[in-house]
Order: sequence, then structure tokens, then C-alpha cells
Amino acid sequence: MNALTPFLPTIAALVKIGLLVGGLMTAAAYLVLVERWMAAWVQDRKGPNRVGIPLTKIRLFGLGQPMADGLKIIMKEDFTPRHVDKVLYTVAPLVILAASLAIFAAIPFGSVLPPLGIPGLPDPVPFLVAPGLDVGVLWVFALSSIAVYGVLLGGWASNNKYGFLGGLRSSAQLVAYEIPLGLGLLGVVLAAGSLKLDAIMNAQAESGIWYAFAQPLGFLVFFVASFAEAARLPFDLPEAEQELVGGYHTEYSGIKLLLFLVAEFLHMVTAAFLIVIMFLGGWHLWGVTGSGQEVTWLGALVRFGVLSAKIFGVILFFMLVRWSWPRFRFDQLMNLAWKVMLPLGIANLVTVATIEEFRPQLVAALGAGPAAAIALAAPWAVFFLGWIAAGMLTPSGTDNTPIRTHTMLDAERSLRGQDLVEV
Amino acid sequence: MDAILPVLLFVAIAAAVSVGLLVTANLIGPRRSGAVKEMPYESGMDPVHDTRRRFDVRFHLVAITFLVFDVELLFLYPWAVASRSAAGIDAAVADGLVSCRGIVYAGAMLFIALVIVGFAYDWRKGVFRWR
Repeated sequence: MNALTPFLPTIAALVKIGLLVGGLMTAAAYLVLVERWMAAWVQDRKGPNRVGIPLTKIRLFGLGQPMADGLKIIMKEDFTPRHVDKVLYTVAPLVILAASLAIFAAIPFGSVLPPLGIPGLPDPVPFLVAPGLDVGVLWVFALSSIAVYGVLLGGWASNNKYGFLGGLRSSAQLVAYEIPLGLGLLGVVLAAGSLKLDAIMNAQAESGIWYAFAQPLGFLVFFVASFAEAARLPFDLPEAEQELVGGYHTEYSGIKLLLFLVAEFLHMVTAAFLIVIMFLGGWHLWGVTGSGQEVTWLGALVRFGVLSAKIFGVILFFMLVRWSWPRFRFDQLMNLAWKVMLPLGIANLVTVATIEEFRPQLVAALGAGPAAAIALAAPWAVFFLGWIAAGMLTPSGTDNTPIRTHTMLDAERSLRGQDLVEV
Repeated sequence: MDAILPVLLFVAIAAAVSVGLLVTANLIGPRRSGAVKEMPYESGMDPVHDTRRRFDVRFHLVAITFLVFDVELLFLYPWAVASRSAAGIDAAVADGLVSCRGIVYAGAMLFIALVIVGFAYDWRKGVFRWR
């Protein structure tokens, strides 16, 4: 015991926060570079490869690019146009960035460290800023909703038509896809019986069956909804460049634009974290990481590596999709959210609830093996049935014919000047 | 308090990082202004009329529907957590607070059925029709 002991948990939390914030900001900068490389690869060109060490001719494959970009944008003027609502205009990027960083208070970034044996510190030390917070999923859900405020404030305060339309569209999209997102989460929460993300990972590691296999429909719904929440192509309608210039951040420049863009990248990183933690087993990999709570230093490192590799893989997939898919139209987007994703999400929830409810009876009647087989097969049957039903009940995505409210007769009337009623 | 303190610290640091970036850029950056620079951006045209105009009522419908469904989702969270956790429904049955597991399951399913009825009504009313 010494004078520091009561403050040790706080110091540990500060160290983790420092690591996370530093790591995330750096990751956001370097992921931009990765994305540009990916774009270059898809489009068969070279991409950024020149910026290296300044004042020398060493290029380092363009690894200096993010630092050069960041420095340049900080040196630029922080311009506030006169026609905007100054307070809201300044607050919007701050809100969105602070919220997208603070989400990580509840997101684990590894398993646990081996016991350190320091008095005053909980053993083993988890890779999680707030291990005592037992509403982790709700915290993540709540803070990702705050992103809507940032977008709406920015769009409204800009006093610009592109910004306003972008803000409206964007908030409608984020709001619509939050329901499928919540339904996807609910299935996992029900199966794991906890709102803690580390407990959800542990549950998958113990059974060895990742929830992507146990709840394929939930995985699909959550995956699509998190693409929409991160506003990535094919769901990037909020800032459809060809129609809306920059969408809600049309009037933003300099550092405030940077805050928006970093927040947007962090949303993608968060989505990747959540997909991996909730559905792809987190740090677990069969035969490599083990599944218990006791780890060696090497084991902790391997688990951290496995989790990071999975997250990086999902992020690369996000980027590959961005450069291979065209953008949806707004009515298609809304159709998908309300008429496809929401019913599928409810179907998944009901299936999972029913299986979890009757699992003991099944085990008692059939034995453990067949019961487990049924519990795995039923969600897949619902998955394919739901897929087919969604395909048959909703109009196909290629149906581009406009619904005519203006008939030929109306056109003729207006030509003759008989129909001058203001629309 | 021990559980919440790291979260509060994180929020404070996240806010400080955002504000810090903004202030740094404000101190370093140049300041130039001009009449054209102050105009709202409308693809290079002179801006026409006010931005604050009427917009499509369907955005309101989406907001209202969202509110209903989101709150209903939040009502389902306690049930989902309690369903299989140690201090959940099984413990309540053991303490005699609930007569059996089945009644909770039936209640939850009934709730979901009611949500689906509302959803079907919205669909029939054309709330989700966007063109």
C-alpha cells in the first residue's frame, strides 16, 4: 500500500483512454490513406505514393501523406460564413466528434491482461475503459444516435440549401436504420443474457459458435444497418456528391470539416468493432486463442492480434464495397429499411427468443446433440425463408419506372393554358 | 461511481480533444474575408430566396414512426437481458414473483405481435411509400 493506491483504477482508466484516443485518431488518419490505396487498386492506378520524409527524396510508399494532410488542414483558415447560425455551426462538429470518440468507453479492444498482482487494481486487467459499466450496448446505441444531432445541427445551421437537404436526408436515413440495428443487437443480447460487450465475446468464445452462425438473419440485418449508420456507399445519400455537393457539411471548411470527416471514419471503425464483437466472435479463433479467462502474456497478445485482424478485415470489406457499388436512390433506401430490414429483424428476434426459451425442453426431449443441431438449423431455415419472402414481396431494385402523377391529358391541358392552378 | 467515472473521464477527454483541435486551428490559421466568400454556396450561382422553406411531410412521418418503434425496442431490452441471465426470469420464478417462464415469453410475444399490427397499419396507410 502506498499513497497512490486509491487512484490506481483512475490512472489505469486514463492510460487506456490515452491509448484509445491516440490510436483512434492515428487509425482514422491512416485509414484514409488505406482507402485511397484501395481506390487506386480498384481503379487500376497508383494512388498516393510520393509523400515521405520531408526535405529528402525518401518516399516511404506515401506513408507521410496523412501527416501532411492533417498539418495542412490545421494551418488553413477556420472560416465561419456570415449567413450561418454561429453557435450551432460551431457546436455541430464538436458534438459529432466527441460522441463518436466517447462510444469507445464501452467497447473492448482485446481480452484481458494476465494478473499483474498490483494491490488496488482489479485482476485481471480488462482491455476496456469502463469495465464496471453494465449497460455497454445501450451506451453504444445512445451515443451513435447522437451522431444524428451533429448532422442535423450542421445541416440546419449552415443556412444553405444543399446542407439543409443533406441534413434532412441524412437524419431520416440514420433514424430509419437505427431500428434494424437495434433489432440485430437485441437478438445477440438475448442469446448472451448481458449488455456488456466483453461478456458477449466471452459467451461466443465459450460455446465456440459465433453469433454470425447462430443468428445469420440478425447478422445480415445488423451488417446492412451498420453500413447505413456509417453512411458508407451504397448508403452514402447524405453526401451524394453529384446531387448535394457535400450534403450537410457543404458550408464547412478547414478544421471543422476535418472534425466531421474524422467522426465519419470513426463511425466506420465503430461499426467494424461492433460487427466483430457481436457476431464474429471478438478475440476468439478456434484452436488459436483458447476460450477461458486465464491468459499468458503471449495469449493476451494473440487475442489482441486476432481481434485487430478481424476488425481490419471488416474495414477493408467496407472500403472494397465503397469502390464497387453504385448508390441507392432515396426511395429504395427507405423501402429497404422499413419494408425489408425491419420485418427481417423482427423475424430474427422471434426465432432467437423461441429457441432460447425452449432449449431446455429440447435438450430434455432429444439429448444435447440433436437439440444443438436444431437450434442451429432453425435460424438458417428462417434466414433463407426470409430472404426468399423479402425478394418476392418487395419490388426488385432494378424497377426504375417513375410513377406518373402527370398524365398525357394533363400535359395537353397545360399546353392549352387550361390548367394554371398553382401546384 | 467507480463504474461511471472512467466514462465521464472519456467524455471529458473526447470533448477536450475536439475543442483543442478547433482552438489550435483558430490560433494558427490566417483570416481573410470578402463579399463573395461570405455568400452561401449554390454551385456558383447567386443565391435565390431563403433556405428555411417548407419540406416534405414524409420526413415528419419517418421521425414519428421511428420514435414509436425505438421506444418499443427499448421496452424489449430488459426482457432480452433477463431472459437467460442468472438474476433474471429464472430467479424471479424461483422467488415466486412470476408463476412460470412461459407467461413472460407469451407476454413478450404478444407485445411483438402488437408492434407488428401497428407496423402493418403504417404500411397500409402508405407511411413507407417514398415515390
